Amino acid sequence: MIAFERFTLANGLRVLFHKEPSTPMAVVNVLYDVGARDEHPDQTGFAHLFEHLMFGGSKHIPDFDAPLQAAGGQSNAFTSNDITNYYDVLPAQNLDTALWLESDRMLSLAFTPKSLEVQRQVVIEEFKQRYLNQPYGDAWLQLRPLAYQKHPYRWATIGKNIKHIEDATMDDVRAFFKKHYHPGNAILCIVGNFELATIIEKVAHYFGAIPAQPKHQRQLTAEPPQKKFRIKTIQRNVPSGAFYYAFKMGKRLSDAYYLADLLSDHIGNEKTGLLFTELQRKKHLVSEITAYITGSTDEGLFVITGKLNPKRSFEELDAAMWPVLAQIKNKKMSKSALQQLILKLRTAKAFQDQGLLSRAMNLSFFELLDSAELLNTESARYEQISTSELQTYAQELLDQSRCSLLQIQPK
Amino acid sequence: MSKPISEAIADRHIAPALLPIEHISFVAPQISTLSNGAKLFWRNGLQNETSKIELHFAAGSATSDPLTASLCAGLLINGTATKSAKQIQKALDAVGAYYDVSLSQESSVVTLYALKDQLLKAYQIFHESLFSAVFPLKELQELVHTRRQKFAVQEQKVSFLAQRQFQRSLLAQTVYANQIQYSDFERADRAQIQAFHTQQYLKGLKKVFLVGDLSTETLSAFEELLNAYEHKLPEAAPFTWQPEQGATHIEQEGALQSAVRIGRPLFNKTHPDFCAFSVLNTILGDYFGSRLMSNIREDKGYTYGIGSHIVENTKFGYFVIGTEVGVSTREATFSEIQHEFERLQSELVPTEELELVKSYLMGQLLKSADGSYAMLDLFANVETMGLDLSYYDRYIAEIKAVDAYKLQELAKRYLNWEEMLIISAG
Repeated sequence: MIAFERFTLANGLRVLFHKEPSTPMAVVNVLYDVGARDEHPDQTGFAHLFEHLMFGGSKHIPDFDAPLQAAGGQSNAFTSNDITNYYDVLPAQNLDTALWLESDRMLSLAFTPKSLEVQRQVVIEEFKQRYLNQPYGDAWLQLRPLAYQKHPYRWATIGKNIKHIEDATMDDVRAFFKKHYHPGNAILCIVGNFELATIIEKVAHYFGAIPAQPKHQRQLTAEPPQKKFRIKTIQRNVPSGAFYYAFKMGKRLSDAYYLADLLSDHIGNEKTGLLFTELQRKKHLVSEITAYITGSTDEGLFVITGKLNPKRSFEELDAAMWPVLAQIKNKKMSKSALQQLILKLRTAKAFQDQGLLSRAMNLSFFELLDSAELLNTESARYEQISTSELQTYAQELLDQSRCSLLQIQPK
Repeated sequence: MSKPISEAIADRHIAPALLPIEHISFVAPQISTLSNGAKLFWRNGLQNETSKIELHFAAGSATSDPLTASLCAGLLINGTATKSAKQIQKALDAVGAYYDVSLSQESSVVTLYALKDQLLKAYQIFHESLFSAVFPLKELQELVHTRRQKFAVQEQKVSFLAQRQFQRSLLAQTVYANQIQYSDFERADRAQIQAFHTQQYLKGLKKVFLVGDLSTETLSAFEELLNAYEHKLPEAAPFTWQPEQGATHIEQEGALQSAVRIGRPLFNKTHPDFCAFSVLNTILGDYFGSRLMSNIREDKGYTYGIGSHIVENTKFGYFVIGTEVGVSTREATFSEIQHEFERLQSELVPTEELELVKSYLMGQLLKSADGSYAMLDLFANVETMGLDLSYYDRYIAEIKAVDAYKLQELAKRYLNWEEMLIISAG
C-alpha cells in the first residue's frame, strides 16, 4: 500500500506527496500532459525535441543540471506518445533545489538559437543511434503507420522523419511551450521523508506564483475500427526475417487492457507459452518468439513478434500462426495457470514498488489517467478476471481482420 | 499566531542554500560461513514482501572456453532425468518466481526473485533442477541455434564490433581476450558443458547473498541446501598486461554512425590512486555535466551520448571512453577528446567545478546506500575485491581531500593520448 496526499494550487498544479520515512533521498517528478500524440502531423518529434530543450536553461537559471549536481542530485526525462516525464533524485535536505529548478522551467524557458541548433543535432544523432543504425531499428517507424491510419499514434516519439526535426524553428518551439507547459497541464509528485505541511509550504513558495493558463483541449482523430488484415513487407540489411503481428486492443483503463496484459504473459512466455511450444519447439519455424502489449493511453497494440529460422518463409510461419491463435481462442486457460499469472504479477509489482522513483512516476501517471489510487487498487482488477472472460477476450482480440503484420526480410 | 501560509519566491535568480551530506551509514549484512566454507551474506529489515537469493559461481566466461561457459549458464535449469525444462518453468511460475543468470568474465551469478514466503520453495525447485541437470540434447541444440541467430544480429551493431575489438586488443595475450566467434557454435559439446557444470557450479560456489525478511527457520533451511555445493575455487592465475596501443578502424559499409572505444589499462579499488582517479574520471566523462558531454554533445552536437568509465574486476581495471558519433564527425571527436585530456593536464580544475563534482559524488554514494538491496550491492562491490565497508569511509575522506594539483598530476600520469588504444567501427 503506497499512501499519499493530494492537493491542488490555485493555478491548477496538481500535487501528490508520498512520505517514505526510511530514505535519505527525495524524488521530484514532474509529468506534463503532452506526448507525441499531441503533435501536428507535419511537425512530428516535437514533444521529444522539446524535452531536450528543457535542460537548456530557464528564465532565471542559465543551466538546469549544474545546480542539481552541486546539490548531489541527478535528473533525466523521457517522452512517450502520451506524456513527457521529468524527474530529479537528490539528497532530501536539498529538496528546495529541485523545486526551484522545476518551477523556473515551468514558468518560462530561456531558449537560445544555439541551444536549439545543438539539441537538433543531438536528436538527429539519437535518431541514427536508436532507429537507423541498428538492425531492425526502424521496425516501429514502419509498424505504427501500418496499424494506425488516423490516430497520431501513427508516428513514433522520435518523429516521422529527420526532416521535421531539421525544420523546427524558434517560433515553433516557443508556441509549443506556451501551449503545453503550464501548471494546469502538469502533475508534480514528491517522495521522501517530509511532513505534509512542509511540502505544502514549499510547493506554494516555488510554484504558487506561476500564472495559470487555459488547458488545451485535446481533440485527437479517433482511429476508425480496423476491418481488414493489413500486411507490409520491407527489405533490410538484417541477418534473419523478423515479424510483428499487431492486434488492436483496448485503452489503458479499459477491461480489455488487463485481459490483454494477462493474455500476452500467458501465450508469450518462453518455454511454457503456446507460441514457443508450437512455433519454435515443435515446428522449428522461429528462433525466438514472444508477445507483449504497448499499454498506451488510447487504443494500444497487442504484439506477437520474433525472428524466422533460416530457410523458413513468412508464408510457412503465417500458415502455422493462425491455427495456433485459433487454439488459444478455443481452449480455456486452466484456473491454476491463471492463478500463477496473478502471483507472478504480484511478485513483479512488489519489486517495482520498492523503487522510490518508480512510485513517483506511477503515482503521477495514474493521477493523469484517472486517480493515483490506481497504484494500490489496480491489482484487484487483475484478480477479478476469470478464465472464461480471458477466453472470450482472446476470441475478440486475435481476429485477423484487426491485425497489422509487418515483415522485415533480409536483403 | 499562525504562520503565513507561504510566501511566493522573491528572487528566482538566487539558488536555495545547499546542505552538505554529513554522514552516510554503511551497514554490513549478517555474515555466516557455511560448512562447505562459502560465505552467506544476509540483509533483512526491508519491511516489504520482496526477497532474493543470489548465488555466485566460479563459472565466468574466462574460467573455461567462453562458449562452454555461456551455454552452461543458459541451460542451467533446463531439464533433469525426470523433469522437462517446461515442467521446471511451470513449477517456478506456480510460486510466482523469476530468475536470471548473468555471466561476467569471473563469475556466473544466478539470482532468484520471489515474495518472501515463496523464496525457499522457489529455491528448492531451482536447487533440485540445478543439481540434477542433464543438459538435454534437444535443449542444447535449440539454445545453440538461437544464440547463433542472435550473434549474427549483434555482429551488425557497430557498438558490438568496437567493444569486442577493444577488449581483444586491450587484454591481448590473456584469457580475457578469448571471445565466442560465429563459427564456434558448431562445436558446442554437451560432455564439455556437463563437466563444466560439475566443476564450476556444483564444486564452485563462491558465495551467496540473501535479501528479505526471512525467519530463522527459513535461513537454516537455506543453509542446509547450500551446503550441498562444494567451495573448491581454482587457484587464481596471475594476470599480466600486454595491451596493444594505437588506432584501429573497422569499416562497416553504409553505417551512419561510428562506435568509438578509447582506453588504457588502469587499476581497481585496491590501488591507492583509485578514489582520486574516480573524481578525475567523473569530471572528464562520468556525469551529465562532464567535460566530454559538455563539449561533444552539448556544444558540438556530435553525439547522443559520450561517457568515460572505470571497469573493474578482482585482478585488474581499465579506463574506457565510449560513444557513437556521426561518421563524418569521428575524427573531430577524437581531436576533442585529446583536447580534453590536454586541458586536464595543462590547467587546474576550477574550484567551482571540483566542488560540484565532489558534492555530486557524495549524493550518488548516498543514493547507492539507500535501501537493503542497494546497500548489499555496495557491500558486494568491496567484498569481492577483498575489502570491507571501511573502504567507503576512506573513499569519502579521499574525495573531500583531493585537490586540483593532485588531479592534474593524475591526468599527466594516466591520460596521455599517445598511450591510448583507439578503436572505432562503422
